[in-house]
Amino acid sequence: MEVVIASSSDDAGIGCWDLRTGAEKLRYKTCASPPHGLVSVGGRFLASSQLREPSASSGSVLFWSWSKPQPEVKSFPAEPIKPLAANSLGTYIVGGGSSGNIYLWEVATGRLLKKWKAHLRGVTCLVFSEDDSLLISGSEDGCIRVWSLFRIFDDVQSQQASHLYEHSITEHSLPVTDIVTGYGGCNAILVSASKDRTCKVWSLSEGRLLRNIVFPSEIDVIALDPGEHVFYAGSRDGNIYIVALHAESKPSKVFGMHIIGLLSDHSKPVTCLAYSKEGNSLLSGSEDGMVKVWDLKTQNIIRMFRHAKGPVNNILIVKPQSSPNLSKRHGSLLPPPLEKYANSSDKETDNKAVIALQATISSTPEPFYYSSQLINDHIKELQQQGSAAAEIDVERLKLDCKRSMQMLQQWKKMYDNLHEFCVDELLDGHQVPGSEGNSA
Amino acid sequence: MAAFEHFKEHYKDMYDVKLKPRMLRTLIRKHLPDEKQPLHSSFELAKVVSTIQTHSLLSESFEEESTDQKLIQSWNSVIDDWVNRVLLLASSNMSDKCWAGICLLGLTCQECSSARFFSSYSVWFQKLLSHLQPPADSQFVKVASCTSLSDLLTRLGRFSNLKNDGTSHSGKLIQPILKLLNEDSSEAVWDGAVSLLHTIITFFPASIHHHYDKAEAAVSSKILSGKCGPKMLKKLGHCLALLPKSKGDEGSWSLMMQKILVLINDHLNDVFQGMEEEAKSAKVRRLLVPPGKDPPPPLGGHTSLIGAIEKTIKRSDQLLTSSVSTLMICCCKLLTSSYPVQVPVPICSLLSLIERVLMMDGSCPQTMLPFMTAMQQELICSDLPVLHVHSLDLLIAVIKGMSRTFLHFKLGILLIPLLRGPISMAPSMHTFTSNIFIACSHLLPHAAEVVRLVTKYFRRCALPELRIKLYSITRTLLISMGVGMAMYLAHDIVDNASIDLNSVLEENAGTSASDPNSIKIQSAKRKRKHGASFESSEEQQDKTNTGLEVGAHKKHKIIPISLKMAALEALETLLTVGGVLGSESWRSSIDNLLIMIATYSCKGGWANEENDIFLPHESTSILADFQLAALRALLASLLAPARVRPPYLAQGLDLFCRGKQEAGTKIAGFCAYALLTLEVLIHPRTLALDDFPSACPNLSKEMGHDAPELDYEDDDFLLNVNDSPEKYPGKCMKDTVEPFKSKETDLVEKLPETNFAEKPPPSDACGIKAPEISEWEPATGNADVQMISDEDQIIVESHQFQKPVQFQEVVSAKSATNHEFAGDPQGTELKLGRAASGSDSLSHKDHDMVSTVNISQDKVEGSANVSGTTPSVIPRADKGKDPWNDGSDSDSSNDSFPDIVDADPDSDSD
Repeated sequence: MEVVIASSSDDAGIGCWDLRTGAEKLRYKTCASPPHGLVSVGGRFLASSQLREPSASSGSVLFWSWSKPQPEVKSFPAEPIKPLAANSLGTYIVGGGSSGNIYLWEVATGRLLKKWKAHLRGVTCLVFSEDDSLLISGSEDGCIRVWSLFRIFDDVQSQQASHLYEHSITEHSLPVTDIVTGYGGCNAILVSASKDRTCKVWSLSEGRLLRNIVFPSEIDVIALDPGEHVFYAGSRDGNIYIVALHAESKPSKVFGMHIIGLLSDHSKPVTCLAYSKEGNSLLSGSEDGMVKVWDLKTQNIIRMFRHAKGPVNNILIVKPQSSPNLSKRHGSLLPPPLEKYANSSDKETDNKAVIALQATISSTPEPFYYSSQLINDHIKELQQQGSAAAEIDVERLKLDCKRSMQMLQQWKKMYDNLHEFCVDELLDGHQVPGSEGNSA
Repeated sequence: MAAFEHFKEHYKDMYDVKLKPRMLRTLIRKHLPDEKQPLHSSFELAKVVSTIQTHSLLSESFEEESTDQKLIQSWNSVIDDWVNRVLLLASSNMSDKCWAGICLLGLTCQECSSARFFSSYSVWFQKLLSHLQPPADSQFVKVASCTSLSDLLTRLGRFSNLKNDGTSHSGKLIQPILKLLNEDSSEAVWDGAVSLLHTIITFFPASIHHHYDKAEAAVSSKILSGKCGPKMLKKLGHCLALLPKSKGDEGSWSLMMQKILVLINDHLNDVFQGMEEEAKSAKVRRLLVPPGKDPPPPLGGHTSLIGAIEKTIKRSDQLLTSSVSTLMICCCKLLTSSYPVQVPVPICSLLSLIERVLMMDGSCPQTMLPFMTAMQQELICSDLPVLHVHSLDLLIAVIKGMSRTFLHFKLGILLIPLLRGPISMAPSMHTFTSNIFIACSHLLPHAAEVVRLVTKYFRRCALPELRIKLYSITRTLLISMGVGMAMYLAHDIVDNASIDLNSVLEENAGTSASDPNSIKIQSAKRKRKHGASFESSEEQQDKTNTGLEVGAHKKHKIIPISLKMAALEALETLLTVGGVLGSESWRSSIDNLLIMIATYSCKGGWANEENDIFLPHESTSILADFQLAALRALLASLLAPARVRPPYLAQGLDLFCRGKQEAGTKIAGFCAYALLTLEVLIHPRTLALDDFPSACPNLSKEMGHDAPELDYEDDDFLLNVNDSPEKYPGKCMKDTVEPFKSKETDLVEKLPETNFAEKPPPSDACGIKAPEISEWEPATGNADVQMISDEDQIIVESHQFQKPVQFQEVVSAKSATNHEFAGDPQGTELKLGRAASGSDSLSHKDHDMVSTVNISQDKVEGSANVSGTTPSVIPRADKGKDPWNDGSDSDSSNDSFPDIVDADPDSDSD
């Protein structure tokens, strides 16, 4: 079951609808999220950073389990966090601070594993690459940086290197509003949108600019088609532009280079987009508080959800992975809150990693019976008793026998010699101790 | 067949169910011993077993529902007889009959129907147990009892409603099993007992709970005793690792892990005595047992026993090595087998322990020299490879265990993964409280450490077996950790693989390769001549082998095929995962290397994949595997994206084409697949963009970034002319085009001037000029006019003296409609004709336009005097097109323009 999750910068809660039926589900309360501030952590629970008063000294990140409307876990990081991202398995949560710091927490323990100065100004968006090994961050100063998590964690190398990032892209002149990455590991592309009215397509591995698209209006959000022949750009003029990524595609003069069409129905700026694999549809959220579902084949709206009067600024499509029917005696279903500071004194837990060794097969192991094998083995053994092995044994025994015979002969000879000697001695009339004779 | 004669009716065929009771009865009568008859030959028993299994004689299962009661009853009674006879045999005093009875009872447990098993398993269990308690005399009987009991419990484990019963039954077995382990002297019996123990832990872990310590003691003392063979040790190790499952809590697992690691470390102290600084051992120890904490009780719990062994028996290094190896196997199993709850892995101590072993290369530190004898050093060095192998295995297990990509959950919450593949709950669940969110890919914070260890060891490691393992570790790392890891590992993989693979090429390099170090180069040359000459038939059969032998002579170091395969696989993975990433420095040399290897490995034809039954194992197919690995790596190198077109595509295709012809082999299958994937490289497809207005096949492709801005008008034109909006469903486009119309025409007015101003000197060839002209083509509002104007410009270029006149026409044409333009058909036609004839070097597009425009005008005007010129133009245009058909995009332009031609008159008449 795929559900649509939408949140707003107003305190309108998090709306949740079944994508297929359109039925509204539980509405999660008390959430005023910044753009890119809502994330589903491994499909297990929802996390959202919260808009704070400018004067607030700490940030706020809330967790909701699927089954309860109230936020269950509240964390207060050291500074206001805006964008939030989790890797696909939900092992780590990263948050971008308004001072340009990026925080990386381990979800299972809540530990702040790393914190580093990523940008000179506030971080506006954070996204993991498809294989979760790279992190891409965009900033208010228009800078985009690509981080390798390995390097972040590699203390030795990070001390040697002059900078931590893999690429630093500074071609946007105004704040970066959104970043998406495509499939393909190192061959993946990166699409960035900025307030400077452009979207730029980059090669993720090289940080090279592949394409620059100029729009009539500011682009707040982009969504990549999984086939990557187009991407969708939600603009402040209320249109969703369809932009070609294929070299062969047909650009249009009307909208600008590479732009091949638009979806237009929102009266207010489009602030968030999400692509749903089920039914090849695109979801768009707008400042008018509506979430619209577009059939991309026909380019028609097939469904609408009303979230609130206020602006929608985050949409997620999630497959929740929980079963709410279980007893609550195990306490909270959620992980502990995210720590405010890195706790370096706790060396012992540092040395351990909590893992789960889950059975990889669903049923009991496929039974394997040994009896028939054993019978065959034993029969073979029984058969062999009269054969080659025994022959070798006989050979060996014969050899042993021969050797023993030789030994016997030797002893006998020795005895004879001794006997002769003793007799001689006796006849000579001298008394000699036997032992001496033996050792001779 | 005398038996059949009694039977009045005949059987339908060999699948007739009625046959089964009959066959079983015959088996009982003829082949099974009873009290009086002795067991004739053990072969008869094998025949009984195979017949029963082949025909499922004990299954009592009927295909169709309505089978007559008589048949059911007769089968039932025959099986009753069978069971009685088997039980009778199992009670016999003669050990051979008893053995046969026990074995067949085990077989019955496996084969009989569920109902029968359900009703009689406890009787069978008692019967089997009686041979273990007290233990029978015969070793065969003891082993057979263990095995049959194991089968009985395995079957019992399938009944979920009998869990408690099974647990209580297997509880009775623990004592006798431990007794066998402790007191018996035969390894076969231990084997049977350990296998039974393993079955019990797997299916009824709770039954061991009360005997946990004793079981641990028994198994671990067996491991440390040094009396078992390697296979047995492995089984013991696995058993020990599974023991914590019987308790199923976090503490037991951690304690077991800690005990084992501490013991390994202590043993290593003994083995490495005098070879390394104490600090290393102390470091691991500190990580294992943090300062201020109590060390765990020793493994097996009996300090005195182990102490006694250590004092009385001088523990040989051999023994230490084997027990360290077993304990490492046990660790691996602990890390990779499933466990009901999440567990804390002491990752740092594991890694430092592994590092301790891997960094020990048998060299003596200077300070230690006085205390070491050469003898001691020799002993350690001879054992080190085994230790290294197991440490690498442990490293693999750590990586696997830490980066399991399955979604986990804690019991109690049951986060059922919906579409996440084969995940589910562990069979046994215990209540447990702690946080539930179990993270995967936990290796990340330690990845750098692992990589450093691997690369450091790669530089030292020279043994093929170890290098193969290292390659497999790097592959695992690459695949599980993706791009980031590729950046780290690329250079090491490339360097090492090049070293391992270059030898192949050196062998292959022919006589010209001069190796100054080679002493036997003469003989090598001679041999190679044989090997490489394609006439000699005998040598031909085994060419690759010969080549390898020659290489051995020359290099004085044989690199086994399996190592080369591992290197190839590592390169393949690297290219797949991180093909373009920072690859400029190594990519071309690796591409070159891979094509050379592939060519070399396949030049002698294709290896026979069939196993030679006279050779042990699969030693023949390794050549085929090598070829396959080479081809796979080659495919990866061709497919991995690079800045340039794959340089060896032609050679690669040739290899794959040849390989495909070896019908019925793995290589042929792979080559067919490779050709399919490479086909996209050969014919780059414009993937159909179904959901969007399809790209108009026009000139824009050639123009790079300038043209597209203006191109849209072309679509507009097509829409008007073709009148087929369904082909261009972008409704918004059509709507939005209109308002822009006026702007377009404004633009048009300006365009010719600009064009003219930019016109290059007349000496420029028309062919070169063409694309630039066409840049302006889409700018015009009216397509027909625009085309004409283009042609006019071409003419302008071809015949410079007409320039002023032509230009005027262009300008007038821009603002003119079709009809206006029709006023001067003659002149245009003439010019067109000239343009077409006078410009053989024109690009095909221009030809297209010429012909198109001709026809359209012809039709529009309905003028007869034009027709005289058109035929002369069209064939030319077609001819001109032909050479372009090979071009990648000529199809599209061919397709599109005829459309216009057909549609044009309609639209105009409307």
